Amino acid sequence: MSTLGFFREVVDSATSIIKGHVVTIKEFFQPPITVHYPEEKLELPKGSRGIPALVVNEEGRLNCTACGLCARACPPQIIDLKMLVGSDGKKQQYPEYFNLDMSRCMQCNLCVEACPFDALEMADAYELSGYELEDLMYDMDRLADIWKNHKSVRIAGGEKI
Amino acid sequence: MPQLLVALIKVVVILGFVGVNALFLIWLERKVSARIQNRVGPYRVGPPHGLLQTIADAIKLLAKEDVMPGAADRWVWFFAPVVMFIPAILVFLPIPFGPQLIVKDLNIGILYIAAVTSFSLLAIFMAGWGSNNKYSLLGAMRAAAQLVSYEVPLVLSVIGVVMMAQSMSLVDIVAGQERIWFVVPQILGFIVFFIASLAELNRTPFDLSEAESELVAGYITEYSGLRWGFFFVAEYTNLFTASAIAVTLFLGGWHGPLLPPIIWFLIKTYFLVFVAMWIRWTLPRVRIDQLADIGWKFLLPVSLFNILLTGVFLS
Repeated sequence: MSTLGFFREVVDSATSIIKGHVVTIKEFFQPPITVHYPEEKLELPKGSRGIPALVVNEEGRLNCTACGLCARACPPQIIDLKMLVGSDGKKQQYPEYFNLDMSRCMQCNLCVEACPFDALEMADAYELSGYELEDLMYDMDRLADIWKNHKSVRIAGGEKI
Repeated sequence: MPQLLVALIKVVVILGFVGVNALFLIWLERKVSARIQNRVGPYRVGPPHGLLQTIADAIKLLAKEDVMPGAADRWVWFFAPVVMFIPAILVFLPIPFGPQLIVKDLNIGILYIAAVTSFSLLAIFMAGWGSNNKYSLLGAMRAAAQLVSYEVPLVLSVIGVVMMAQSMSLVDIVAGQERIWFVVPQILGFIVFFIASLAELNRTPFDLSEAESELVAGYITEYSGLRWGFFFVAEYTNLFTASAIAVTLFLGGWHGPLLPPIIWFLIKTYFLVFVAMWIRWTLPRVRIDQLADIGWKFLLPVSLFNILLTGVFLS
Protein backbone atom coordinates (compact mmCIF):
# COMPACT_ATOMS: atom_id res chain seq x y z
CA MET A 1 0.00 0.00 0.00
CA SER A 2 1.30 3.45 -0.80
CA THR A 3 2.01 5.88 2.00
CA LEU A 4 -0.78 8.17 0.83
CA GLY A 5 -3.20 5.23 0.76
CA PHE A 6 -2.25 4.38 4.32
CA PHE A 7 -2.98 7.89 5.57
CA ARG A 8 -6.24 8.01 3.64
CA GLU A 9 -7.28 4.73 5.25
CA VAL A 10 -6.43 6.02 8.71
CA VAL A 11 -8.43 9.21 8.14
CA ASP A 12 -11.37 7.27 6.67
CA SER A 13 -11.48 4.83 9.58
CA ALA A 14 -11.20 7.64 12.11
CA THR A 15 -14.09 9.58 10.56
CA SER A 16 -16.31 6.50 10.37
CA ILE A 17 -15.52 5.62 13.99
CA ILE A 18 -16.41 9.17 15.07
CA LYS A 19 -19.64 9.04 13.04
CA GLY A 20 -20.60 5.82 14.80
CA HIS A 21 -19.97 7.36 18.20
CA VAL A 22 -22.09 10.39 17.34
CA VAL A 23 -24.98 8.03 16.52
CA THR A 24 -24.69 6.12 19.79
CA ILE A 25 -24.33 9.23 21.97
CA LYS A 26 -27.44 10.70 20.36
CA GLU A 27 -29.35 7.53 21.21
CA PHE A 28 -27.88 7.67 24.72
CA PHE A 29 -29.62 10.96 25.39
CA GLN A 30 -32.96 9.83 23.93
CA PRO A 31 -35.49 8.67 26.51
CA PRO A 32 -35.84 4.87 26.49
CA ILE A 33 -38.80 3.48 24.61
CA THR A 34 -39.50 0.84 27.25
CA VAL A 35 -43.00 0.80 28.78
CA HIS A 36 -42.77 -0.38 32.39
CA TYR A 37 -45.45 -3.00 31.98
CA PRO A 38 -47.20 -3.63 35.26
CA GLU A 39 -47.15 0.08 36.15
CA GLU A 40 -47.70 1.47 32.66
CA LYS A 41 -49.68 -0.17 29.92
CA LEU A 42 -49.95 0.49 26.22
CA GLU A 43 -53.29 1.64 24.82
CA LEU A 44 -54.71 -1.36 22.98
CA PRO A 45 -56.00 -0.83 19.46
CA LYS A 46 -59.77 -1.07 19.06
CA GLY A 47 -60.77 -4.63 18.31
CA SER A 48 -57.93 -6.32 20.17
CA ARG A 49 -58.95 -9.91 20.78
CA GLY A 50 -58.26 -11.33 24.22
CA ILE A 51 -61.16 -13.47 25.28
CA PRO A 52 -64.72 -14.03 24.01
CA ALA A 53 -67.05 -12.42 26.55
CA LEU A 54 -70.81 -12.69 27.01
CA VAL A 55 -72.77 -9.50 26.30
CA VAL A 56 -75.07 -8.26 29.06
CA ASN A 57 -78.13 -6.26 27.89
CA GLU A 58 -79.94 -3.34 29.59
CA GLU A 59 -82.06 -5.70 31.67
CA GLY A 60 -78.91 -7.21 33.14
CA ARG A 61 -79.51 -10.51 31.36
CA LEU A 62 -77.31 -12.23 28.81
CA ASN A 63 -78.13 -11.90 25.13
CA CYS A 64 -77.24 -15.58 24.79
CA THR A 65 -80.05 -17.95 23.79
CA ALA A 66 -77.97 -21.09 24.21
CA CYS A 67 -78.47 -21.98 20.56
CA GLY A 68 -75.06 -23.67 20.50
CA LEU A 69 -73.84 -22.23 17.17
CA CYS A 70 -70.71 -20.84 18.81
CA ALA A 71 -69.87 -24.27 20.21
CA ARG A 72 -70.28 -25.73 16.72
CA ALA A 73 -68.12 -23.02 15.15
CA CYS A 74 -65.30 -23.33 17.69
CA PRO A 75 -62.33 -25.12 16.07
CA PRO A 76 -60.75 -26.41 19.29
CA GLN A 77 -64.25 -27.15 20.70
CA ILE A 78 -63.76 -25.44 24.00
CA ILE A 79 -67.27 -24.03 24.50
CA ASP A 80 -69.56 -26.21 26.54
CA LEU A 81 -73.12 -24.96 27.09
CA LYS A 82 -76.58 -26.24 27.86
CA MET A 83 -79.99 -24.62 27.50
CA LEU A 84 -81.88 -23.92 30.71
CA VAL A 85 -84.96 -26.10 31.28
CA GLY A 86 -87.59 -24.48 33.48
CA SER A 87 -89.47 -26.20 36.31
CA ASP A 88 -92.41 -26.71 33.94
CA GLY A 89 -90.21 -28.72 31.60
CA LYS A 90 -90.13 -26.02 28.89
CA LYS A 91 -86.85 -24.84 27.37
CA GLN A 92 -86.03 -21.24 28.40
CA GLN A 93 -83.86 -19.90 25.46
CA TYR A 94 -81.20 -19.07 28.07
CA PRO A 95 -78.02 -20.91 29.05
CA GLU A 96 -78.05 -23.12 32.13
CA TYR A 97 -74.26 -23.08 31.97
CA PHE A 98 -71.77 -21.66 29.51
CA ASN A 99 -68.22 -22.83 30.10
CA LEU A 100 -65.16 -21.71 28.20
CA ASP A 101 -61.79 -23.45 28.46
CA MET A 102 -59.34 -20.54 27.98
CA SER A 103 -56.34 -22.89 28.19
CA ARG A 104 -57.11 -23.89 24.60
CA CYS A 105 -58.78 -20.77 23.15
CA MET A 106 -56.93 -19.41 20.12
CA GLN A 107 -58.75 -16.05 19.89
CA CYS A 108 -59.91 -16.86 16.35
CA ASN A 109 -63.14 -14.85 16.69
CA LEU A 110 -65.18 -17.59 14.91
CA CYS A 111 -67.60 -17.98 17.85
CA VAL A 112 -68.32 -14.23 17.67
CA GLU A 113 -68.93 -14.41 13.92
CA ALA A 114 -71.20 -17.41 14.33
CA CYS A 115 -73.42 -15.82 16.98
CA PRO A 116 -76.75 -14.67 15.46
CA PHE A 117 -77.91 -12.91 18.63
CA ASP A 118 -74.99 -10.46 19.24
CA ALA A 119 -74.37 -12.31 22.45
CA LEU A 120 -70.61 -12.78 22.12
CA GLU A 121 -67.96 -10.09 21.78
CA MET A 122 -64.18 -10.19 21.86
CA ALA A 123 -62.95 -8.39 24.97
CA ASP A 124 -59.44 -6.93 25.12
CA ALA A 125 -58.65 -8.52 28.51
CA TYR A 126 -55.23 -10.10 28.16
CA GLU A 127 -54.02 -10.64 31.72
CA LEU A 128 -55.64 -14.05 31.94
CA SER A 129 -52.92 -16.20 33.47
CA GLY A 130 -53.56 -17.92 36.78
CA TYR A 131 -51.96 -20.22 39.30
CA GLU A 132 -54.42 -23.10 38.85
CA LEU A 133 -55.80 -24.74 35.75
CA GLU A 134 -59.27 -23.95 37.10
CA ASP A 135 -58.45 -20.24 36.81
CA LEU A 136 -58.62 -20.67 33.04
CA MET A 137 -62.05 -22.32 33.09
CA TYR A 138 -64.54 -19.50 32.66
CA ASP A 139 -68.22 -19.87 33.52
CA MET A 140 -70.92 -17.48 32.29
CA ASP A 141 -70.75 -15.17 35.33
CA ARG A 142 -67.04 -14.57 34.87
CA LEU A 143 -67.47 -14.04 31.13
CA ALA A 144 -70.21 -11.50 31.79
CA ASP A 145 -67.98 -9.72 34.32
CA ILE A 146 -65.20 -9.52 31.78
CA TRP A 147 -67.60 -7.95 29.29
CA LYS A 148 -68.67 -5.37 31.87
CA ASN A 149 -65.14 -4.47 32.92
CA HIS A 150 -63.27 -4.40 29.61
CA LYS A 151 -63.58 -2.81 26.23
CA SER A 152 -64.96 -5.25 23.74
CA VAL A 153 -66.03 -5.21 20.13
CA ARG A 154 -67.97 -7.51 17.88
CA ILE A 155 -66.15 -8.32 14.66
CA ALA A 156 -68.01 -10.13 11.87
CA GLY A 157 -66.93 -10.50 8.26
CA GLY A 158 -63.84 -8.43 8.98
CA GLU A 159 -65.95 -5.42 10.01
CA LYS A 160 -66.19 -4.04 13.50
CA ILE A 161 -69.83 -3.81 14.48
CA MET B 1 3.08 -0.17 65.19
CA PRO B 2 1.35 3.00 63.89
CA GLN B 3 3.01 2.38 60.54
CA LEU B 4 1.44 -1.08 60.38
CA LEU B 5 -1.90 0.40 61.34
CA VAL B 6 -1.67 3.03 58.60
CA ALA B 7 -0.76 0.36 56.07
CA LEU B 8 -3.68 -1.77 57.22
CA ILE B 9 -6.09 1.16 56.88
CA LYS B 10 -4.78 1.85 53.37
CA VAL B 11 -5.33 -1.80 52.40
CA VAL B 12 -8.86 -1.82 53.79
CA VAL B 13 -9.74 1.46 52.06
CA ILE B 14 -8.41 0.25 48.70
CA LEU B 15 -10.08 -3.17 48.93
CA GLY B 16 -13.35 -1.53 49.90
CA PHE B 17 -13.05 0.91 47.05
CA VAL B 18 -12.27 -1.93 44.61
CA GLY B 19 -15.38 -3.82 45.66
CA VAL B 20 -17.75 -0.86 45.56
CA ASN B 21 -16.21 0.44 42.34
CA ALA B 22 -16.61 -2.93 40.56
CA LEU B 23 -20.26 -3.18 41.63
CA PHE B 24 -20.87 0.38 40.47
CA LEU B 25 -19.08 -0.09 37.14
CA ILE B 26 -21.00 -3.27 36.32
CA TRP B 27 -24.22 -1.39 37.00
CA LEU B 28 -22.96 1.56 34.94
CA GLU B 29 -21.96 -0.66 32.04
CA ARG B 30 -25.42 -2.22 31.96
CA LYS B 31 -27.08 1.18 32.20
CA VAL B 32 -24.92 2.75 29.48
CA SER B 33 -25.46 -0.19 27.13
CA ALA B 34 -29.18 -0.06 27.83
CA ARG B 35 -29.47 3.66 27.18
CA ILE B 36 -27.43 3.44 23.97
CA GLN B 37 -29.86 0.74 22.81
CA ASN B 38 -32.91 2.77 23.95
CA ARG B 39 -33.63 0.35 26.78
CA VAL B 40 -33.91 1.00 30.52
CA GLY B 41 -31.49 -1.59 31.90
CA PRO B 42 -31.54 -2.76 35.52
CA TYR B 43 -34.52 -1.09 37.13
CA ARG B 44 -36.34 -3.29 39.62
CA VAL B 45 -33.79 -4.07 42.34
CA GLY B 46 -33.20 -1.06 44.56
CA PRO B 47 -35.61 1.71 43.66
CA PRO B 48 -33.24 4.42 42.37
CA HIS B 49 -32.70 2.91 38.91
CA GLY B 50 -31.70 -0.60 39.93
CA LEU B 51 -28.61 0.48 41.86
CA LEU B 52 -28.77 -2.59 44.08
CA GLN B 53 -28.93 -5.00 41.14
CA THR B 54 -25.23 -5.85 41.21
CA ILE B 55 -25.36 -6.47 44.97
CA ALA B 56 -28.11 -9.01 44.35
CA ASP B 57 -26.00 -10.54 41.58
CA ALA B 58 -22.98 -10.71 43.87
CA ILE B 59 -24.99 -12.50 46.54
CA LYS B 60 -26.18 -14.95 43.91
CA LEU B 61 -22.59 -15.60 42.79
CA LEU B 62 -21.46 -16.13 46.39
CA ALA B 63 -24.22 -18.65 46.99
CA LYS B 64 -23.44 -20.72 43.90
CA GLU B 65 -21.87 -24.15 43.98
CA ASP B 66 -18.11 -24.22 43.36
CA VAL B 67 -17.80 -26.42 40.26
CA MET B 68 -14.41 -27.57 39.02
CA PRO B 69 -14.10 -29.40 35.70
CA GLY B 70 -12.94 -32.98 36.24
CA ALA B 71 -10.11 -32.80 33.74
CA ALA B 72 -8.81 -29.44 34.95
CA ASP B 73 -5.23 -28.90 36.01
CA ARG B 74 -6.21 -28.48 39.62
CA TRP B 75 -3.82 -25.91 41.11
CA VAL B 76 -3.32 -23.86 37.98
CA TRP B 77 -7.06 -23.63 37.50
CA PHE B 78 -7.54 -22.90 41.19
CA PHE B 79 -5.09 -20.00 41.39
CA ALA B 80 -5.83 -18.26 38.09
CA PRO B 81 -8.59 -15.96 39.50
CA VAL B 82 -6.32 -15.01 42.40
CA VAL B 83 -3.42 -14.23 40.07
CA MET B 84 -5.85 -12.15 38.01
CA PHE B 85 -7.15 -10.25 41.03
CA ILE B 86 -3.91 -9.38 42.84
CA PRO B 87 -2.24 -7.27 40.10
CA ALA B 88 -5.52 -5.43 39.63
CA ILE B 89 -5.17 -4.23 43.23
CA LEU B 90 -1.39 -3.79 43.15
CA VAL B 91 -1.76 -1.17 40.40
CA PHE B 92 -3.39 1.15 42.96
CA LEU B 93 -0.09 1.45 44.81
CA PRO B 94 1.60 4.35 42.93
CA ILE B 95 -1.46 6.24 41.64
CA PRO B 96 -1.90 9.66 43.29
CA PHE B 97 -5.62 10.21 43.97
CA GLY B 98 -4.84 13.59 45.45
CA PRO B 99 -1.88 15.61 46.73
CA GLN B 100 -1.62 13.40 49.82
CA LEU B 101 -3.84 10.49 48.79
CA ILE B 102 -1.25 8.00 47.61
CA VAL B 103 -0.23 4.66 49.04
CA LYS B 104 3.43 4.89 48.08
CA ASP B 105 5.23 7.19 45.67
CA LEU B 106 7.55 4.98 43.62
CA ASN B 107 10.29 6.65 41.61
CA ILE B 108 9.76 3.99 38.93
CA GLY B 109 5.96 4.25 39.07
CA ILE B 110 5.32 3.75 35.35
CA LEU B 111 7.70 0.84 35.07
CA TYR B 112 6.01 -0.72 38.08
CA ILE B 113 2.57 -0.36 36.48
CA ALA B 114 3.75 -1.81 33.18
CA ALA B 115 5.30 -4.75 35.03
CA VAL B 116 2.34 -5.46 37.30
CA THR B 117 -0.33 -5.23 34.60
CA SER B 118 1.58 -7.82 32.54
CA PHE B 119 0.70 -10.34 35.25
CA SER B 120 -2.91 -10.48 34.07
CA LEU B 121 -1.58 -12.20 30.94
CA LEU B 122 -0.17 -14.95 33.16
CA ALA B 123 -3.53 -15.30 34.89
CA ILE B 124 -5.38 -15.50 31.59
CA PHE B 125 -3.04 -18.17 30.33
CA MET B 126 -3.29 -20.11 33.61
CA ALA B 127 -7.07 -20.03 33.33
CA GLY B 128 -7.01 -21.10 29.69
CA TRP B 129 -4.49 -23.87 30.18
CA GLY B 130 -5.81 -25.11 33.49
CA SER B 131 -9.38 -25.44 32.26
CA ASN B 132 -8.34 -28.19 29.82
CA ASN B 133 -10.95 -26.95 27.36
CA LYS B 134 -10.32 -26.06 23.74
CA TYR B 135 -12.31 -22.82 23.88
CA SER B 136 -10.49 -21.69 27.01
CA LEU B 137 -7.13 -22.49 25.48
CA LEU B 138 -7.96 -20.74 22.20
CA GLY B 139 -9.14 -17.67 24.10
CA ALA B 140 -6.00 -17.66 26.23
CA MET B 141 -3.76 -18.02 23.16
CA ARG B 142 -5.48 -15.10 21.51
CA ALA B 143 -5.21 -13.04 24.68
CA ALA B 144 -1.52 -13.84 24.91
CA ALA B 145 -0.86 -12.77 21.33
CA GLN B 146 -2.95 -9.65 21.81
CA LEU B 147 -1.50 -8.57 25.13
CA VAL B 148 2.08 -9.13 24.06
CA SER B 149 1.65 -7.11 20.87
CA TYR B 150 -0.21 -4.22 22.54
CA GLU B 151 2.14 -3.99 25.50
CA VAL B 152 4.76 -2.51 23.15
CA PRO B 153 2.81 0.56 21.89
CA LEU B 154 1.32 1.00 25.36
CA VAL B 155 4.72 1.44 26.99
CA LEU B 156 6.13 3.41 24.04
CA SER B 157 3.23 5.87 24.20
CA VAL B 158 4.04 6.57 27.85
CA ILE B 159 7.68 7.36 27.09
CA GLY B 160 6.70 10.74 25.62
CA VAL B 161 5.11 11.68 28.93
CA VAL B 162 8.14 10.48 30.86
CA MET B 163 10.37 12.60 28.63
CA MET B 164 8.27 15.71 29.27
CA ALA B 165 7.99 15.17 33.02
CA GLN B 166 11.65 14.14 33.35
CA SER B 167 10.51 11.51 35.83
CA MET B 168 8.89 8.09 36.04
CA SER B 169 7.19 8.85 39.34
CA LEU B 170 3.48 9.44 38.92
CA VAL B 171 3.55 12.21 41.55
CA ASP B 172 6.15 14.12 39.54
CA ILE B 173 4.20 13.53 36.34
CA VAL B 174 1.06 15.02 37.90
CA ALA B 175 3.11 17.90 39.28
CA GLY B 176 4.48 18.54 35.79
CA GLN B 177 0.94 19.08 34.50
CA GLU B 178 0.16 22.02 36.73
CA ARG B 179 0.13 24.51 33.86
CA ILE B 180 -0.85 22.37 30.88
CA TRP B 181 -2.18 18.82 30.70
CA PHE B 182 0.07 16.45 28.78
CA VAL B 183 -2.86 15.51 26.56
CA VAL B 184 -2.26 18.70 24.57
CA PRO B 185 1.40 18.17 23.56
CA GLN B 186 1.04 14.37 23.73
CA ILE B 187 -2.25 13.95 21.83
CA LEU B 188 -0.77 11.16 19.69
CA GLY B 189 0.52 9.43 22.78
CA PHE B 190 -2.86 9.71 24.44
CA ILE B 191 -4.69 8.19 21.46
CA VAL B 192 -2.22 5.30 21.25
CA PHE B 193 -2.33 4.80 25.02
CA PHE B 194 -6.13 4.70 25.10
CA ILE B 195 -6.49 2.28 22.18
CA ALA B 196 -3.76 0.05 23.53
CA SER B 197 -5.31 0.04 27.02
CA LEU B 198 -8.64 -1.03 25.55
CA ALA B 199 -6.79 -3.93 23.92
CA GLU B 200 -4.94 -4.70 27.15
CA LEU B 201 -8.25 -4.77 29.01
CA ASN B 202 -9.73 -7.21 26.48
CA ARG B 203 -12.64 -4.89 25.90
CA THR B 204 -14.67 -4.57 22.73
CA PRO B 205 -13.57 -3.88 19.96
CA PHE B 206 -10.55 -5.98 21.01
CA ASP B 207 -12.28 -8.67 23.07
CA LEU B 208 -11.21 -11.52 20.82
CA SER B 209 -10.10 -13.63 23.75
CA GLU B 210 -13.67 -13.92 24.99
CA ALA B 211 -15.53 -13.62 21.70
CA GLU B 212 -18.75 -15.31 22.71
CA SER B 213 -19.87 -16.02 19.16
CA GLU B 214 -16.94 -18.34 18.55
CA LEU B 215 -15.27 -19.15 21.88
CA VAL B 216 -18.21 -19.43 24.33
CA ALA B 217 -16.53 -17.18 26.92
CA GLY B 218 -12.85 -17.70 26.13
CA TYR B 219 -10.62 -18.38 29.11
CA ILE B 220 -13.43 -18.00 31.65
CA THR B 221 -15.61 -20.68 30.02
CA GLU B 222 -15.09 -23.20 32.83
CA TYR B 223 -15.42 -20.75 35.70
CA SER B 224 -18.61 -20.09 37.59
CA GLY B 225 -19.78 -18.62 40.86
CA LEU B 226 -17.24 -16.88 43.03
CA ARG B 227 -14.23 -17.60 40.80
CA TRP B 228 -15.98 -16.13 37.78
CA GLY B 229 -16.88 -13.18 39.99
CA PHE B 230 -13.18 -12.69 40.75
CA PHE B 231 -12.43 -12.43 37.03
CA PHE B 232 -15.32 -10.02 36.59
CA VAL B 233 -14.29 -7.77 39.49
CA ALA B 234 -10.67 -7.83 38.27
CA GLU B 235 -11.82 -6.87 34.77
CA TYR B 236 -13.75 -3.84 35.98
CA THR B 237 -11.04 -2.86 38.45
CA ASN B 238 -8.58 -2.96 35.56
CA LEU B 239 -10.92 -0.75 33.57
CA PHE B 240 -10.92 1.77 36.42
CA THR B 241 -7.16 1.64 36.95
CA ALA B 242 -6.43 1.97 33.23
CA SER B 243 -8.60 5.08 33.15
CA ALA B 244 -6.96 6.34 36.33
CA ILE B 245 -3.50 5.87 34.81
CA ALA B 246 -4.60 7.64 31.63
CA VAL B 247 -5.89 10.53 33.75
CA THR B 248 -2.67 10.65 35.75
CA LEU B 249 -0.44 10.59 32.69
CA PHE B 250 -2.38 12.75 30.26
CA LEU B 251 -5.35 14.54 31.85
CA GLY B 252 -3.64 16.36 34.68
CA GLY B 253 -4.31 13.85 37.46
CA TRP B 254 -5.99 15.54 40.38
CA HIS B 255 -5.43 19.08 39.06
CA GLY B 256 -8.58 21.13 38.61
CA PRO B 257 -10.22 24.33 39.80
CA LEU B 258 -12.65 24.81 42.71
CA LEU B 259 -13.51 21.20 43.56
CA PRO B 260 -11.28 19.12 45.87
CA PRO B 261 -8.52 17.14 44.05
CA ILE B 262 -9.99 13.69 44.75
CA ILE B 263 -13.32 14.73 43.19
CA TRP B 264 -11.53 16.02 40.09
CA PHE B 265 -9.59 12.79 39.83
CA LEU B 266 -12.73 10.66 40.09
CA ILE B 267 -14.67 12.84 37.63
CA LYS B 268 -11.93 12.53 35.01
CA THR B 269 -11.47 8.80 35.64
CA TYR B 270 -15.15 7.96 35.44
CA PHE B 271 -15.44 10.08 32.31
CA LEU B 272 -12.76 7.94 30.65
CA VAL B 273 -14.53 4.81 31.92
CA PHE B 274 -17.69 6.10 30.31
CA VAL B 275 -15.83 6.72 27.05
CA ALA B 276 -14.53 3.13 27.14
CA MET B 277 -18.09 1.89 27.62
CA TRP B 278 -19.32 4.17 24.87
CA ILE B 279 -16.71 2.66 22.53
CA ARG B 280 -17.66 -0.85 23.61
CA TRP B 281 -21.32 -0.38 22.71
CA THR B 282 -20.56 1.35 19.42
CA LEU B 283 -17.88 -0.62 17.64
CA PRO B 284 -18.03 -4.23 16.48
CA ARG B 285 -15.24 -6.66 17.29
CA VAL B 286 -12.17 -6.57 15.01
CA ARG B 287 -10.82 -9.64 13.25
CA ILE B 288 -7.60 -11.18 14.51
CA ASP B 289 -5.62 -9.99 11.47
CA GLN B 290 -7.07 -6.48 11.85
CA LEU B 291 -6.07 -6.61 15.51
CA ALA B 292 -2.48 -7.41 14.62
CA ASP B 293 -2.55 -4.76 11.87
CA ILE B 294 -3.74 -2.03 14.23
CA GLY B 295 -1.16 -2.98 16.82
CA TRP B 296 1.95 -3.35 14.68
CA LYS B 297 1.24 -1.23 11.61
CA PHE B 298 -0.57 1.72 13.17
CA LEU B 299 -0.04 2.07 16.91
CA LEU B 300 3.64 1.14 16.98
CA PRO B 301 4.78 3.56 14.21
CA VAL B 302 2.60 6.34 15.64
CA SER B 303 4.03 5.89 19.12
CA LEU B 304 7.59 5.84 17.77
CA PHE B 305 6.86 8.98 15.75
CA ASN B 306 5.47 10.56 18.91
CA ILE B 307 8.70 9.84 20.78
CA LEU B 308 10.71 11.36 17.92
CA LEU B 309 8.45 14.44 17.88
CA THR B 310 8.71 14.87 21.64
CA GLY B 311 12.49 14.54 21.47
CA VAL B 312 12.76 17.15 18.73
CA PHE B 313 10.59 19.64 20.62
CA LEU B 314 12.32 19.12 23.95
CA SER B 315 15.88 19.49 22.61
